[in-house]
Amino acid sequence: MNTEQSKPLIELSHVTKSFPSMSGNFQALKNVSLKIGKGQLVAVTGKSGSGKSTLLNIIAGIDKPTEGQVAINGIRVDKLSESELATWRGKNIGVVFQFFQLLPTLTVIENIMLPMDFCNRYPKNERRERALVLLEQVNIREQADKLPSALSGGQQQRAAIARALANDPPVIIADEPTGNLDSQTSAAIFELFAALARSEKTVIVVTHEKDFADYFKDVIVIADGAIVNEFVPA
Amino acid sequence: MKTRYIKVIRDLTSDYPKNIMLIVAIALGVFGIGAILGGYSVIKREMTDNYLSTVPASATLELEKEISKSLVDSVKKIPGIQEAERHATVTARMRVGDKWFPLLLFVIDDFKEKRTNKPHHLSGEAEPSPGSMLVERTALIVMNAKEGDDLLIKTPHGEPQKVKLSGTVHDPGLAPAWQEQAGYGYITIETLHALGETQGFDQLRILVSEQPYSRDHIMETAQSVARQVERAGYPVHEIQVPSPGKHPHQSQMNAVMSIFIVFSFMILVLGSILVATSMATLMVKQVRQIGVMKTIGANSIQVMGLYALMMVLLCVLALMVAIPLSRLAAAGFYRQLAVLLNLEINDDSIPYWVAIIQVGSGLIIPLVAAALPVIRGSRISVKNALDNYGVTQTYSANTSWIVRFSQLNFFSETFRLAIRNVFRQRSRLVMTLGLLAAGGAMFMTALNVSEAWDSNLKRIYVQRLYDLEVHLNNFTTTDSIVKKIDAVQGVRAVEAWSSSPTSVSKDNALNITSTYPDKGHASFTMLALPVPTQLLNPTITEGKWLHDPTAHHVVLNQSARSSLKIGDEVSLAIEEKVSTWKVIGFVEDVGSHSTAYVSLQTFSAITNTTGQAELLRISYRDRSKENAMRKNLEIEKLLEKENMAVSKTIPVWLLRNAIAAHMKVLVNSLLAMALLMALVGTIGLVSTVSMSVLERTREIGVMRAIGATPAKIRSLIVWEGLLIGTISIFVAFVLSVVLSTYMGRVIGDMAFRTPLSLTISAFALMTWIVTIFAVAYVAVLLPARRANRISTREALAYE
Ligand SMILES: Nc1ncnc2c1ncn2[C@@H]1O[C@H](COP(=O)(O)OP(=O)(O)O)[C@@H](O)[C@H]1O
Ligand SMILES: [Mg+2]
Repeated sequence: MNTEQSKPLIELSHVTKSFPSMSGNFQALKNVSLKIGKGQLVAVTGKSGSGKSTLLNIIAGIDKPTEGQVAINGIRVDKLSESELATWRGKNIGVVFQFFQLLPTLTVIENIMLPMDFCNRYPKNERRERALVLLEQVNIREQADKLPSALSGGQQQRAAIARALANDPPVIIADEPTGNLDSQTSAAIFELFAALARSEKTVIVVTHEKDFADYFKDVIVIADGAIVNEFVPA
Repeated sequence: MKTRYIKVIRDLTSDYPKNIMLIVAIALGVFGIGAILGGYSVIKREMTDNYLSTVPASATLELEKEISKSLVDSVKKIPGIQEAERHATVTARMRVGDKWFPLLLFVIDDFKEKRTNKPHHLSGEAEPSPGSMLVERTALIVMNAKEGDDLLIKTPHGEPQKVKLSGTVHDPGLAPAWQEQAGYGYITIETLHALGETQGFDQLRILVSEQPYSRDHIMETAQSVARQVERAGYPVHEIQVPSPGKHPHQSQMNAVMSIFIVFSFMILVLGSILVATSMATLMVKQVRQIGVMKTIGANSIQVMGLYALMMVLLCVLALMVAIPLSRLAAAGFYRQLAVLLNLEINDDSIPYWVAIIQVGSGLIIPLVAAALPVIRGSRISVKNALDNYGVTQTYSANTSWIVRFSQLNFFSETFRLAIRNVFRQRSRLVMTLGLLAAGGAMFMTALNVSEAWDSNLKRIYVQRLYDLEVHLNNFTTTDSIVKKIDAVQGVRAVEAWSSSPTSVSKDNALNITSTYPDKGHASFTMLALPVPTQLLNPTITEGKWLHDPTAHHVVLNQSARSSLKIGDEVSLAIEEKVSTWKVIGFVEDVGSHSTAYVSLQTFSAITNTTGQAELLRISYRDRSKENAMRKNLEIEKLLEKENMAVSKTIPVWLLRNAIAAHMKVLVNSLLAMALLMALVGTIGLVSTVSMSVLERTREIGVMRAIGATPAKIRSLIVWEGLLIGTISIFVAFVLSVVLSTYMGRVIGDMAFRTPLSLTISAFALMTWIVTIFAVAYVAVLLPARRANRISTREALAYE
């Protein structure tokens, strides 16, 4: 893929994350360094408890590293304050959750307009139009005015992906996005991610699924908080 | 509209029952504040306006001799005097049905040019023609008569005569006649003479021209007038200076109202705590949504804004409901009070600041209460909000004593778990308990106070061992009439007493009292009684009761006490003569004005009336009102037959009714407050308990998954509710004792001139216990049933 000389979009160097536990500090990530470039589609796999979610959280600024540096698009994410992070994240990272996490009292389209509202992106009168375009992109335009509870799991996850794209962030992260979906639906979701990567979005997906290895050229395997495969940085 | 506001509105409308409950909780407080403040502000304004519209005299000088027209004219010329007028007040009696009632006759010099204490003419004659009388509008009820009727009147020295009621007036300076169980009439001096009284005008009313509201200035002016009048040959024996510009009931009114205002603000505070608690719960429930919003770009301030907006919307809705309703209630309230205070509402507009206070407090108090949980809830980190860790961390671990306590063997497994659950969320426990305890405490206080009120009314009978008091016109030799009354069947005892208005005399200065023109409010009486007496059962608070018939001993009641101590010497003026008395005791009287009790023998020696009395007190074996009424009639007939010059008779039951009528509306309002309190309290219990169940849907799912039966879960939750209820009852009870003591003091002082004795109403306690348990049971059962109905899987996925 794009392996230009330009600076990588995401760069972690010597990131360690430890949590206090009963028996001293527990290291969920141990001295992790990696680089991910623009438009890369990366899978993160590993056993349960190995540190996959922790890695994603640190990239998304949801969690802060105990040691080491995190730079995304040239910004030192580990140095941002909580409120700076919120806006930064809203504009730069699209997050897709395992349980979709659409707000239950908002319609699908309102869910997608919400990030634009919080980050004050796009003129107000263009937001709805943009949301419709995104829904079109994930193929659920007809569901726009329904409540999430009226949608199937796959449709909800599509809506969640549309929401992640709302502010046009360069990075999309998804933590086990297909964990609650059947394999056919999952395939469609992965297809969507692949399409996003083709349109120059950097997509990082935590997944257990071996079956979808085809979609991912780049795979990070984590065990006990460390990257154990020959992950070639971009 | 911004998308995030849509979320707020949808969240509000998605849980109607709960949010309506919250709106009601706030609305009740705002309603209370508006009803009380609105009613009060109108009454206070109208009370002052009504009172001032009569041009109340600054001072009344009681003179020894008949006042001539020329004296009045010369007083008018004294610098600093704006108006002067002569007047007389005579206590007569009127016949209503087959009973005699007190009748206060105001003798007016010039009906056309009335200068002070002017009643407003309502109907009929404006100036009574000879042999007729104008009446105060409220007196018609007591007289059971209408304009144009004849009324049988007996003045102290005259024979009973018919007088025509030729017109009506409204005198806002007088309490309603039915409240005092007396009549008010306005007559000319000629009519008074025709009724058999020979006295002339003996009161000089003056109106100062400067500083009309300074009591000091008025007293000074009145004294200088008195000195000049005395120099002109008119001895002055008393100067009355009521609080300037203040209606006789003003201070009572203020005290009662301040209690109600405090009560209604408390209701609002309780409601706000309730709303704050449920906001906190809502934020815990929506913790994942908060996490998601923060993930997609919301910062803490934006999240805070959402929940604050939700609060504001709840408050605004509550205000929209409460303010108009409270204005209606305020109107009802001031109308009732106007009747109670004999006022005419000329301007019924509720001042705009009442609504401002309602809006201000209805927004600020709930927002302040909710501030902490909302701020804390919105500042949760994304990680904590998304993780399960986040949820569990808000639970504090059980302290070990609770664990150990709950492990005691005699508790069932379920109960043990319930105890731990209750204590698990300490901050919510504190809030729920606070709410319930405060609501319960106020509920019980209101009932306690109203019961104490009733029992103090009963104390009137306990202290006053007589049933009828007969005032004679003059000091009379009473031996033979006492014997005759004693011989009447059913009479237990009869004693001859004496009484005289008195005042504390300060070296040489004239005696100044604060008595109002109705001669009742703020007066001071010396009561002389045989030592020992069978007809009084004084409540001695300090020192001793009168025991030496010949000593110059005085016992003072609480209103007369001021700053005196046992052993002090006081100089008291009785009919011009100043005598010195040693204070030997203090008593607490229910329903007496300031009174100084002395021995009749000593009193008679000072007043040269040995062997005479001017008061008879009679007690019956059967003290019921029915018997007393019958016997009173018999006694009155006897007195008439014996040609006793009776000025007035006061049955004790009438006194009791007069006091009861004075404060009835206020005690009833207190009960209404109690109901509101109970309502807020139970709403609080219902919502917190049911929310705590909903919030733990996931936990219930887990318990079901590990094999707990629905019955077991239900009983666990019910136990939890009952446990909270029980603890709250204990706290509420303790609080109510403290509150009742305080309220009893304020209300008692106003109504009985003595604090209400602390009364614990068993009825109140039982009602509260039953309510709490019933409500807790229902509040728990419904959501528990619901929680049990959801499948285990749904429960586990419950957000
Ligand atoms: N907030 C936390 N406090 C303590 N331990 C944590 C916390 N978050 C994660 N962990 C621990 O860190 C390890 C890695 O967790 P995670 O990244 O969620 O694993 P994965 O997503 O690969 O299943 C786990 O052992 C987990 O228990
Ligand atoms: Mg994980």
